[in-house]
Amino acid sequence: MNGTRNDIANAHLNNRVGPVLRQGALAKAVAEAAEVDNPDKTITIDDKVAYVRISTEGEMILRRTTIEEMLGKSFQMYELEVELSSFSGRIENGSEQIRFYFEKTL
Amino acid sequence: MAVLNRLDWYDIARDTNWTPTYVAESELFPEELSSAFGLPAEVFEEYDEPYKTTYPEYVKVQREKDAGAYSVKAALERSKMFENASPGWLSVLKLHFGAIARGEYSASSAEARMVRFGRAPGMRNMATFGMMDEIRHSQLQLFFPHQYVSKDRQFDWAFKAYDTNEWAMIAARHFFDDVMVTRGAVGVALTLTFAFESGFTNMQFLGLAADAAEAGDWTFSSLISSIQTDESRHAQIGAPLVQILVKNGKKAEAQKLVDISIWRAWKLFSILTGPVMDYYTPLEHRKQSFKEFMQEWIVVQFERSLLELGLDKPWFWDDFLHEIDEQHHGMHLGVWFWRPTVWWNPAAGVAPAEREWLEEKYPGWNATWGQCWDVITDNALDNKMEQTLPVTLPVVCNMCQLPINFTPGPAWKTRDFSLTYEARDYHFCSEGCRWCFEQEPTRYQDHLSLVDRFLAGQIQPPDLGGALKYMNLAPGEMGEDALKFAWLDEVRAERLKKAS
Repeated sequence: MNGTRNDIANAHLNNRVGPVLRQGALAKAVAEAAEVDNPDKTITIDDKVAYVRISTEGEMILRRTTIEEMLGKSFQMYELEVELSSFSGRIENGSEQIRFYFEKTL
Repeated sequence: MAVLNRLDWYDIARDTNWTPTYVAESELFPEELSSAFGLPAEVFEEYDEPYKTTYPEYVKVQREKDAGAYSVKAALERSKMFENASPGWLSVLKLHFGAIARGEYSASSAEARMVRFGRAPGMRNMATFGMMDEIRHSQLQLFFPHQYVSKDRQFDWAFKAYDTNEWAMIAARHFFDDVMVTRGAVGVALTLTFAFESGFTNMQFLGLAADAAEAGDWTFSSLISSIQTDESRHAQIGAPLVQILVKNGKKAEAQKLVDISIWRAWKLFSILTGPVMDYYTPLEHRKQSFKEFMQEWIVVQFERSLLELGLDKPWFWDDFLHEIDEQHHGMHLGVWFWRPTVWWNPAAGVAPAEREWLEEKYPGWNATWGQCWDVITDNALDNKMEQTLPVTLPVVCNMCQLPINFTPGPAWKTRDFSLTYEARDYHFCSEGCRWCFEQEPTRYQDHLSLVDRFLAGQIQPPDLGGALKYMNLAPGEMGEDALKFAWLDEVRAERLKKAS
């Protein structure tokens, strides 16, 4: 991260999307669900102790049922907000899935 | 009974637009309070809030968030965090609560303005939740530090700071009043929710939470990261508006408000967040440098979102990237030197190992800022403490209200960005601050900086003692070196080692 001035000048030219979650059981479940629900994508987990940044390129889908399975208990999509401190990209939150995405690719 | 999915009923439930018959549309939504750039009602019909919630969901989720924050506090109340924390870390808490807690009420009033005068139903709906969020933030951040007031009088400033003319508080208030208190609904959506909350609050509420977790202060870490989950939702009020404004020929207007807010937030964070991350937080607990956090949150994440929504990089972006390497070091040096004028105890953060870290994170630190600290360190080692303390006030900027300072060393070039407006001379720290003033001079022209007040005879007697009284700083509240100069022992040991 400690890049040169030139790296920083171009650092905004990225397409990383995904949630930033407070540390805990839900963050772990979401990280696992991200792998399952986005099979063709490489998911990056950046653990900052207090928060976990889960990201990929362009678009990430998280399904309620997948998170429920990973958590091992019932889960409503809106409950993600309890731990969702931030996110990269745009958000679209429904009852069965949540989507992080960019419309423009840089 | 089958329950409909939220999306099947959401639009009809929140669509509260109607055609006014008793008053004109312009009376229902006066331009001063809606600040919709004169755009007609129908252009706002496209507004679709991306992060949706409903009242039943909101109540359940907020209840769970509060239960979490309060239970962490209750569980750790006997953990002796206060007794065991480094004095530098306690200063982080004092600075945070004083500068932030009461400002959350201003944020709540700003959200309330969007609730009433926002032109789109979705905007008003999301702002209703935002308004309640901000009340939660005030109350939590007044309640949590209250447990420390009986142990340390400086924690009283969590409540008191906003009622004083302490200089850092004047700076914080000037910024928050500009972006929260004195903008119409669309203005606030751009300056507060879009620029400030989807950008900068991540630094103070998540970046700092990472440091707090490393420092073992789970109560604070859990509190501020929980607050940011509210921000993350209501910060999305601004994004659809940006798109509507861009589409309807108001891109320049939107860009200007966003740029003003970004520049002003940056200046405040260079003194609020920079010193605490790179100097006050104990070295072994620093998750990343301030610059690295700025890069993660503001450059990679926030700046990218500007482009997504059809805005451009702010015109001052190169200056900004330059400043995130340098500005907060000067702010830190100033705060430490003028320590009797603040309500926390600044940690110098310049023991040998800390200087090594600074040099690694900010190559060139030793040859610039390090030289100033050499002089201070030598004076302190010679017990010339009066040389490490101020006798007068620094020149402050007429926009950010912060000391005007630049990087010392061979390339040192102090510059004053001045402007004469209606026969009054103004001094600014940067092109960016002067530019903010020039966008709307009448908005800012009558404000007096602390130095202006001093020169106008409002501070009596006209010396440092009078200034401290003016700033409501009583003995026991005025800052002193956080470690009471214990860090000099490490300097002595290092010098002995080198000499032998």
